[in-house]
Amino acid sequence: MIFMILLLPWLPMLAALGILLIPKGNEDLLKKITVAICSVTSVMVLILFFQFDAARTGYQFVYRFDWVPELGITYQVGLDGINLTLCLLHALVSFAGALVSCYNKERLKEYLFFYLILTGAIYGVFTSLDMFFLYLFYETTLIPLYPMIGIWGSKNKEYGAMKLTIFITTGAVVALFGILLFYQQTGLHTFDLIQIQRHLASHPLPLDFQHVVAPLLLAGFGVIASLWPLHSWSPIGYAAAPTSVSMLHAGVLKKMGPYLIFRLAIPFMPEGIRHWSGPLSVLAGIGIIYAGYAAIRQKDLKFIVGFSSVSHMGYILLGIAAMSPAALSGAVLLMFSHGVMAACTFGLIGFMYEQTHARGVSDYGGLSVTTPFWAVCFIMASMASLGLPGFSNFASELLIFIGSWSRFPIIVSFAVFGILVTALYLLRMVQQICYGPVNPKWSKLRDIRTFSERLPFVLLLGALLLFGFWPQGLLKIIEPAIGVLLP
Amino acid sequence: MNLSLLIPEWTALGVLLVLLIGEISWKDFSRKYSGLVSLAGCGVVFLALLLGRNHYGSAFSGTFEVTPLSVFFKMFFILTLAPVIQMARDSFENSMKNPGEYLLILWCTLIGLFFLASAKDLLLLFISLEIVTLSFYITAAFLKKDLMSIEAGLKYLILGSLASAFLIYAISLLYVMTGTTSLDGIRTASSILNPPPLMMLSFVFLIAGVGFKIASVPFQLWVPDVYEGAPSPTVAFLSVGSKAAGFLIGLKVLVAGFPFLSKELTLLFSVLAALTILYGNLGALLQTNVKRLFAYSSITHAGYLMIGIAAGKVSGVQALLFYLAAYGVSNLAAFSVITLVGKALKNDRLETYKGLSQRSPYLAGMMFLALLSLAGVPPLAGFFGKFYILLAAVQAGLSWLALLGLLAVSISLFYYLTLVKKMYIEESVQTSPIQVSSGSRVLLAVLALLIIVVGLWQAPLLSWAGQAAASLF
Repeated sequence: MIFMILLLPWLPMLAALGILLIPKGNEDLLKKITVAICSVTSVMVLILFFQFDAARTGYQFVYRFDWVPELGITYQVGLDGINLTLCLLHALVSFAGALVSCYNKERLKEYLFFYLILTGAIYGVFTSLDMFFLYLFYETTLIPLYPMIGIWGSKNKEYGAMKLTIFITTGAVVALFGILLFYQQTGLHTFDLIQIQRHLASHPLPLDFQHVVAPLLLAGFGVIASLWPLHSWSPIGYAAAPTSVSMLHAGVLKKMGPYLIFRLAIPFMPEGIRHWSGPLSVLAGIGIIYAGYAAIRQKDLKFIVGFSSVSHMGYILLGIAAMSPAALSGAVLLMFSHGVMAACTFGLIGFMYEQTHARGVSDYGGLSVTTPFWAVCFIMASMASLGLPGFSNFASELLIFIGSWSRFPIIVSFAVFGILVTALYLLRMVQQICYGPVNPKWSKLRDIRTFSERLPFVLLLGALLLFGFWPQGLLKIIEPAIGVLLP
Repeated sequence: MNLSLLIPEWTALGVLLVLLIGEISWKDFSRKYSGLVSLAGCGVVFLALLLGRNHYGSAFSGTFEVTPLSVFFKMFFILTLAPVIQMARDSFENSMKNPGEYLLILWCTLIGLFFLASAKDLLLLFISLEIVTLSFYITAAFLKKDLMSIEAGLKYLILGSLASAFLIYAISLLYVMTGTTSLDGIRTASSILNPPPLMMLSFVFLIAGVGFKIASVPFQLWVPDVYEGAPSPTVAFLSVGSKAAGFLIGLKVLVAGFPFLSKELTLLFSVLAALTILYGNLGALLQTNVKRLFAYSSITHAGYLMIGIAAGKVSGVQALLFYLAAYGVSNLAAFSVITLVGKALKNDRLETYKGLSQRSPYLAGMMFLALLSLAGVPPLAGFFGKFYILLAAVQAGLSWLALLGLLAVSISLFYYLTLVKKMYIEESVQTSPIQVSSGSRVLLAVLALLIIVVGLWQAPLLSWAGQAAASLF
């Protein structure tokens, strides 16, 4: 099993270097390699998922070797319930995204090159257990994003790409500052998370240090988790990005922010987070309501979904602020659910945009008649997004509300109200797009027909339904991991 | 006296002689063979260094010494020279009658740099520095028919002479105070006495001299103009080799020579580093000429390198050396592309880079990689350089400086990505492909490989830098 977890980040990266050698014209081979690599990594994640022993606490499949002994940098991998869940999310989304990427027409080779680098780097973030490599992979994801959005994007793409890159980098460097201070403070001269955890269990960090450094990590990683008011890169960036980048970014990359908070801030600086949980919960609450209202006013489909994802990330951040086992488990489950849902929605919008090059809500109408399969998927994804029972989003939001009620009753009431706002813009969007009179301009739209076109959406929605009816499937591995984080 | 310590210097002199004799004897030598002979010479000098790398000691009654630090810098200089020679071949070989002259001067610079790396006496240090600087005056003004180039040479000459004057004045003051020009002598003499005011004065003058070489605020004004006007290979050498020489003097004289002033040095260098980083970053934001852009970017990098001196101790110097190597490979790769594009399109404006990814995917890809490394994006060499130097700053208690250096990374991304945008996103009016000579192809591939390998597998270079840094104290 160890070799699989070691290969997860490096296989896509090596494949990326490999496809540089394939001539540009051979598009078939390029596509086959990309899809093959993404399926192989996804299957490896599935195997790891089934091999994972839910009864055991602590990290599994741990492997470690010294990288730079002088500074205590190790290359260490391992999985617990949290990053395994996120690996599963990435496995699903990266596979679906690879299939979608193949419809790209221009400069396909370069696109797939960047796509594979991005995929590998994300696996790197979700498997590493060393602060240095966590950060290294985290920032590596930035390399491909700028050209991917800049070259293959649409509408205001240069501005969107630059804004997204600079915002996320600024967040990342602020967090890195926190990491450097943390490294210095522990006095262990190691970046090895397991070793640090063992040491801090008996020697917790001084309180005033936690109070100073925890907000650095929260704000730094909060940027990519689109914490209000640092969210403004997100709708613009997603609107500009090509389909599979929106899928990966809204689906998976955004979850790296909360994940790194789970990995670095919650276990090591719990008092720091509790100290700042009041402001954090208020910001999360504002984000939920504000982004919801902003979504109501949007006319562009991708902006609606972009703001909607900002709003949903607010629930995750609220769960983190609450710092109770139920809320944190709910937050992890929501990272998974929202990721799958967002990827599905962006994939569907991209499919339509390819044909019509129109993204306005009012450009469409009656799609349930012209393209029934697409409409069914779109309605299902929207229902998942507004938290309909039966989709895993419902279970996770419920857990967050239950877990944070006792600490922030007022904000939770606002957050519950936020679901109403969500329902408002989503139902309106569904109504205008899928029902009503057919726009004569698009009476001959092509539906999602072939197997390889349908597969990504069936997989993503299937996962949402599966874990909607059986949340225990994920919670049974998440909850013990949360138990370790919060002693 | 152990003359075998000077084998690398003898070898370099030998190469210089071969070039000189060739230049005199054959008419076609300059155009056809001087470049290849120079490249081969780099290989031979490199081998000489490699074979004698564990052979330390001193010669000429202590004025010349070989330490791990000097070997590190000599390796650095010779590895810098090889790409510069290749760039010179690309720019001059077909367009000039005597490109060999340029290479001859490059080799003079190298010999100066080698003696600088080994100087243990202020006079030898000054003389070798003058060899280096004088050669740069010539190479900066090498394009005799280009007004910009002459202006660059003249500007560098006037300001450079001023810096030299400061240095020699500082040295003479030191001699008055201590009665010696040997660095060891100054170190022992000064640590006994309380630092008298004249000592402080000479310390300040030394900083001015070093600041000019490394292009730190407030001695940076010459940089953009000289970089813009001078031929690209000269600029590449100036931005990597000459900057490294400045830091070498800084380490030898300021850090090792004045241990009792280390607190003042930390304060001064951390403030100057902060200002330099900000100045370079903000200045680069609105540039429209690629060489001016890189001038400001090189000022920024000088600021980061100064953090290493401010952090002091072995870890700070080690971080500085690592950063220098990472910056060196990345900047050389970038300047190789600048040289080739400038040669092919006769223009250094940013507009020229529009659509480069279509005209030459290879050059654009290499430039992209170099820019990311300079910006400090992982997993490339520049990332670890920044990471370690900022970690050293945190360890030395300079957290504010580390935070500033980190935030400056986001600013620098803006102008580096602007160039990426030109190359990859914007379309060019002309679409004719750009030819790249096979020599440059190989050079760029090697540099790119180094950028990735050093960035991912940091341990060997780091431990070598650590060894070199430890020998300074």
